[in-house]
Amino acid sequence: MEGLQTIRPELLSISPEQLSALRPYFIIFGGTILAMILSVVRWMNPKWPLFILVLATLFAGIVDSFRLVPEAPLTLFNAMMISDGYSHLFNIVFMASAFFTVMASFRYLDREKLQYPEYYLLILFAVLGMMLMVSAQDLIVVFIALELMSLAVYTLVGFRRADRRSNEAAMKYFILGSAASAVFLYGSALLYGSTGTTGIKEILSFIQTHPTSMTPVYTLGAWLVILGFLFKVAAVPFHMWMPDVYEGAPTPITGFMTTGLKAAAFATLIRLLTSVGYGKGLSITLQAHLHDILWVSAVLTMILGNVVALTQTNLKRMLAYSSIAHTGYLIVGIIAGSGNEMGYGPVVMYLIAYAAMNLGAFIILTVLSSRDDSGLGLHDLSGLSRRHPWLAFGLAVFMFSMAGVPPTAGFAAKYVLFYSAVQANEIPLVIISVLCSAISVYYYLRVMVYMYMRDPSGSPSVNRIPVWSTLGIAAMVFLTLQLGLMPGKVVLAAKKVASSL
Amino acid sequence: MMRIEPWVVLAFCSTIFFIGFAGVLMRRNIIVILMSIELMLNAVNLTFVTYSKLLNHMGGQMAVFFIITVAAAESAIGLGLVIAMFRTLRSVDTDQIKLLRE
Repeated sequence: MEGLQTIRPELLSISPEQLSALRPYFIIFGGTILAMILSVVRWMNPKWPLFILVLATLFAGIVDSFRLVPEAPLTLFNAMMISDGYSHLFNIVFMASAFFTVMASFRYLDREKLQYPEYYLLILFAVLGMMLMVSAQDLIVVFIALELMSLAVYTLVGFRRADRRSNEAAMKYFILGSAASAVFLYGSALLYGSTGTTGIKEILSFIQTHPTSMTPVYTLGAWLVILGFLFKVAAVPFHMWMPDVYEGAPTPITGFMTTGLKAAAFATLIRLLTSVGYGKGLSITLQAHLHDILWVSAVLTMILGNVVALTQTNLKRMLAYSSIAHTGYLIVGIIAGSGNEMGYGPVVMYLIAYAAMNLGAFIILTVLSSRDDSGLGLHDLSGLSRRHPWLAFGLAVFMFSMAGVPPTAGFAAKYVLFYSAVQANEIPLVIISVLCSAISVYYYLRVMVYMYMRDPSGSPSVNRIPVWSTLGIAAMVFLTLQLGLMPGKVVLAAKKVASSL
Repeated sequence: MMRIEPWVVLAFCSTIFFIGFAGVLMRRNIIVILMSIELMLNAVNLTFVTYSKLLNHMGGQMAVFFIITVAAAESAIGLGLVIAMFRTLRSVDTDQIKLLRE
């Protein structure tokens, strides 16, 4: 009963600073509950009020998080959670990604006759899960938040209930995702067994004070925890689910997954890596071991992602493989993170830039897709510059950005990332990354060739572009160019928040 | 009374866990796969309880409560997805899932 005595009075009260640090979470949670109530009213059509409510909730959350980014770290709930710049910066990414996904989804759901209130609720729940996951300081909290996010996203992937592809994608994602969660959980059980705690900081401090407790059980536990997350970020060899799920999911949800989900998984992976002792110089063997396996995984991920993307003709599938390739670059950043002055800052910067350009690209794909989410082959883009010159321009900006051409966000992010890898003395890795990103230019430019140099094939349909999507695309184009032209502020902010890890 | 050594229990847990893992990878029926996932989660629960007893620390047993709850939610979602898939596919066999492979 030693556990009962550890309940201290200060755990039952909450200080004003803590309350203020928790406000974004309360805003999202409150908005979710309100939306839930609103979605069951019978006396009116909840479509418009719900849409406005969800956007207002996310907007309020974003504004509130901006206030919290420069604040000093603050532990919450008996050190189960932490409120620091790192978590709040990522919270902004998640909420912004959900904000623009909701904007892009509104007319899409009308068109596909899927306008159910649950869609918005699930997005809000997924955002709440991501926010909790990135600020969690305890492996059990990470697990609960991970499931809150994943369960909502499994359902969203299968949201086109009458469509076989959507069902198959959801099923595949569910089975593999749950297995990965279980692997993660088994790893945390082993870590708990060898250190006597599930707290992320406590595990590290226990290992630092008791170096003899680095038993094989600890190593296996650390491995399983990290493998669970390597699955979530779709690093080779755990990438098989990604192209299928991205292709089968509703297009706006695919955009949400590439930005929000990926950022959440990477942000938490970095927290976990630091917790099991990566980059703190505690055990040379474990360090070298982790480094080697991440190294191999990064190289395989980049090569496979880029080479397979060359042969894809479906845009969604091509972007899925390009997303795998970008996972590879991000792992390069993680490998370099422990050995350079920027820390994990470049990874944070890359995730922000990647979110901006990918979200924009998927909003455009949502607009361009014909009914039943088809019509996203490369041939369907033929002569897009004549039908929709502005959409073609937007997609061109995003494709240039993903290929890493200046002056776009992708270039700035890649520059900072590869520079940090050079500083960390990972020269062979940088050479492989640069060669891989040279390969990637081929398939990104092919999209441009179809848009600008081919004549329209068949009977080109001119879609009406919803005003919400236009706003979203414009914002993302602006952000992509802004981050490319003036990256300094974001780079510094990323460096600052990453140094507090 | 015979005392059961902790390592026996832990070895048992890891056996169950890897049986579950092998089931997810090898079985073809989705219902069986869902059962295998439950098996994995329950093996984790047992591991947590064993360590909790070994370390004389309540945290592990608290974790089990949360895991049980989440596992229940997970199987609810999983069965919902199976039903949605059965409606369009008329099968619960994973070999039928091949539409997305080009």
